[in-house]
This record gives sequence, C-alpha cells and structure tokens, in this order.
Amino acid sequence: MKLSRMRFAGIWICGAASLMGQTSREAYRQDYDAWREVHANLERDAGSGGATLIPQVDRAAARVAAFGTNRAAFAKAAAQTAAQQRQVLQAVTTRPSPDVAPPAVSDLVKSDLQTVTKTIARFADDKDRGIQQLRQSLERERDALAALNESIEARQKAVAATTAAATTLEQGRVRIAETMSAETTALSQNSVELEKETAAWAVYYEGLAKAIQIANAPPPPRVEVTTVAPRNDTPPGIPRARYVGAWTYPISNGIFHGAQPEFVDLVVHEANGHADGTLFARFKLPAGGATDPLVRFDFQGDFANAALQRFPVVTSEGTAGTIELIPGPAFNLLEINFLTDPRPGKINVGNFILVKK
Amino acid sequence: MKRVAWLSLFVCSASLAQTPDLTALEQTAQKRHAEWETQAKSLEERLARILPCDARSAGAIAEVKGLSEARLAALSDYMRAVSAKAFAETAAARNLLIAEERRAIEAVRERADAGQEQTAVDIQSDGLLQSINQRSSLRDAQKLLEQITALIRQRLTESERQADAAEKMSPVLRDLLAKFEARDAALQNESAAFEAERTRWSGYYSARQARAQTECSITQIGGAQNPAAQPAKSPAKGKAKQ
Repeated sequence: MKLSRMRFAGIWICGAASLMGQTSREAYRQDYDAWREVHANLERDAGSGGATLIPQVDRAAARVAAFGTNRAAFAKAAAQTAAQQRQVLQAVTTRPSPDVAPPAVSDLVKSDLQTVTKTIARFADDKDRGIQQLRQSLERERDALAALNESIEARQKAVAATTAAATTLEQGRVRIAETMSAETTALSQNSVELEKETAAWAVYYEGLAKAIQIANAPPPPRVEVTTVAPRNDTPPGIPRARYVGAWTYPISNGIFHGAQPEFVDLVVHEANGHADGTLFARFKLPAGGATDPLVRFDFQGDFANAALQRFPVVTSEGTAGTIELIPGPAFNLLEINFLTDPRPGKINVGNFILVKK
Repeated sequence: MKRVAWLSLFVCSASLAQTPDLTALEQTAQKRHAEWETQAKSLEERLARILPCDARSAGAIAEVKGLSEARLAALSDYMRAVSAKAFAETAAARNLLIAEERRAIEAVRERADAGQEQTAVDIQSDGLLQSINQRSSLRDAQKLLEQITALIRQRLTESERQADAAEKMSPVLRDLLAKFEARDAALQNESAAFEAERTRWSGYYSARQARAQTECSITQIGGAQNPAAQPAKSPAKGKAKQ
C-alpha cells in the first residue's frame, strides 16, 4: 500500500502553502528553528535510544517538511518576482526614429536662404522706395531663415547626442540583460534544489525511523505481552485525541492522492488502548465506469506506541486490508492510507487528509 | 516594502502599457512630413508663376504653412510619446536597481543561512557516525545524510556565488541607470531643440507671408491692397495693375 508518507506530506504542505499564499523569510526561519529544536540530538540518541525516539523522528520530519516547503515556496516567489522586475532589461530601449525629421529639411532651408540672400544682393543698390521695402522684407525673411537654419543645426546636434546616448545605453542593456538572464535562471533553480533537499530529508527521517525500529523490534513473545498489557500508555507527544473522534473530508481544498474522495466519514473509538473504527467513503470516478465509488470498512486493533497507527481492515464485502492513521501537521488533521486486496470493480487504495468534525 | 515594490512595478507596467502606439505616431509624422515637403519644395516655383496680388499666392503660402504646422504637431506628438516611454523605462530601471540592492542583501542572508545549515548537518553527521558504533542499522541513514550534506554544500557554494554576483550587479546597474538618465537628458534636449525649431518655422512662414504682402503692395498703385487681408479679391485686378 505504502503510498510514501513523505510524498503525501509534501503534497499536503504544498497545498497548504498555496492556500496560505506567499511565505516570508521570517516564517521559514521560524520553521527552521522549530525543526532544529525538535530534532535536538536525534543522531546521537539514535545509537542508544529505542522506539521512544520515533515520535521525535516523526515530529522532526514534519518540521523539516514544513521548513523545506515554505523555503522552496519563498525561493520560487523571489525568483518569479526577480524575473518580472528584470523584464525591463529584456526589451530594446526606446529612441526616436531618425526617419521622422530627415536631413533634407536642412537642405531646403539652406537653398531658400541662398536664394533670398542673392535676391537681397541684387536689390542692394536700387534706390526705388518699393524695392527698398521689398529688400527690407527679404532681409527679415533671410534673418528668419538663418535663425531657422541655426535651430535645425542645433536640433541635428541634439539628435546626434540622443543617438549616441541611446546607443551606449542599448549596448549596456544588452550586456547586463545577458548576465541577468543567467542569474534569473540560477534563482529559479534554487527552489528546485530546495525541493530536492526537502525530499531527501523526508527519506532520511524515514530511514532513521526504520533503523531505530529494526534494531528495537521486540521478539514475538514480548508482542503477546504487549497485547495484553494495559493500553493507557500514549506515544510520547502524540495524544490519542489525534486519532480518536469523528473525521470528515473537507468540502473544499481537500488534499488527496490517487482517487479523489467526494466525501469521507471516519469514526474512531478508543477503550483501554484498543481502537475500533468505521470508514465510509465515496470517490469521484469517471462517469460511466464500472468501478463502485463506495468504500466501507471496519477496523480494530491496539494502539501502537508510535505516531503511525496501523490496523487490519475488513470491508463490507469481506475483503481484508490495512488502514494507517497518521497525525497531520495540525491538531485537527489526520492522514489516512488504506489498502485492501484488489477486487474487480472495487476501489482498493485511498490516501487523503481528514479534518476533525 | 514588498507592496511598494509591487505597486511601483504595477505603475511602471501600467505607464508602459498606456504609452501610445509609437509606430502609428511615427507613420503619421512621416506622412505629414512627406505632405509638407512636396508642397514646400515647389512653393517658390509655384509662386514665381503667380502674380503677387493673386489670392493664390497668399493661399499657397498659407497652405504650406498649415502643412508645416501639421507636420510639426505630428512630430511633437511622436516626440512626447517617445519621451514618455523612455521615462517609464528609466523609472522601471530605477525600481530594478532598488530591488536588486535588496536582493543582494537577501543573498547575503541566504549565504549565512546555508552556512548555518551546513554546520548543523555536519554536527548531525558526527552524531550519527558515533551512533553507528552502537547500532549498525543506522548505516543506510548515514548514507542518506551524506547525500543531504552534499546537497547543502552544493547550495552553499551556489549561494556564495549568487551573493557575489548580486553584490557585483548593483554598481553595474547603477551605471546602467546613469545611461538611462543620460538618454533621457539627451531626449529632453532634443525635444527642447525641436520646440525651438518649431517656433522658428512659424517665424519663417510669417516672414514669407509678410514678403508676399510687400510684393503685392509695391506692385499696387497707392499700395493699399493687402492680399492676406483680402485673399479672395480678383487676381485679374492685380494682374491689370501689374
């Protein structure tokens, strides 16, 4: 059955992170501190400690998963923001088109200026009053043309200066954009690497727990003793209330792996360390399929001295299987894994998070 | 702070988005230029064939003046749009510099965090090595921890490189921002030069109209006729007095 716990935890935390929106550096640093605090000297204690360490391992695994997920989400958001802000360097910088004011304008003005100047010279010695008036008028026009020519030259110089400044800017932009692009890629890779680390931590804690459990596996006679012993003991740090009660699948934003539940109702009772419960679920399946969407089974067994509780299951059709109850990151959350023997037209695997009613 | 950065980014993108279509404005400016240029080049030749007091003389100058004003108005619209877009780019570059400076600080923190995590995992490795002597089943866990240590070491190296790159990026961006600002200053100068030229074009056409009036008045007996004031009066009259 073993849908990997850490994979599921990863999915759960990712979902939670996306619901929470953007995370912050302070938040993931708090997660880090919490993780280190829970982790304490786990490796040193693993040499001599027994099964009592397992809840600590589970807590540390949950903490590092929360830290890793939040941190990766932060890195991802930071990379996305950086990529957006750096877009400004991806576009060619603006400069005026040289075609809107061609140099031919200057030639036209110069030509008119020459003509007017020549005409003035032709009338220079003419004493006629009318001609003198015309000459004065031409002189005013010449002055206007000269001033215009001067301003055209000034503008052409300004255009040349703009062109030079825009060219220098564009060259600089292209150079920096290349470097920036490489850095943006590196930034986006950060979250990928952090996700790898988070997954590696989950595998590590799983391995650590297994190593501790293997070394401390009690021999069969002691199992008998454990079975008949009083059941009031509670795994350190994990109260029975984390398993016992009525649980349901949330109407929205439910977290699952595999078949999607439409609804799930789970009731778990406890008496003297003995658990018994019933799970009733309906799954969303493709329309027209032959698979029965309903699953119903009962289970019972003794609570183990560990975070993960595993019980044998018998479905309403008499099929055997197992169910695992795993406390979620919050007090009111419970992860469920179940696996029954495969039967045609029946769902035999389920994995989802329930909320306490 | 994050909100301010986002707001600036939004404002910048909004201002970039609101920039009028430069291509359309450029095409209009080119069209107006071509319209004016055709008439302006042939103006003197056309005027030479019209008698000074012929209303067509004043009309031809007024037409070219009008085309010149339309050309300069289109050019002014285009220059304004170019400047607006350029200034928005500069504002975005300024915001980028601020963001990158913050990122450089963040990168230093990241480097410190990675260093702290490296130390913590080294301590874990030491602890696990000691525990293996007591419980050999921890060997697999130790291998997994070694893999994690390698990942963290790799991340530490990368975070050092990123912090370094971010630190070097700030002065480079400051230099680029100075280039953006130099381009904007040049654009402002160009706009100012263009506006000065626009005024001179107006002055020139006024002088040209004044000369046309003088040409008319000195060819009139008594010199009372004003073609600009009475442009519709019969060209034949002017011709008769020639």
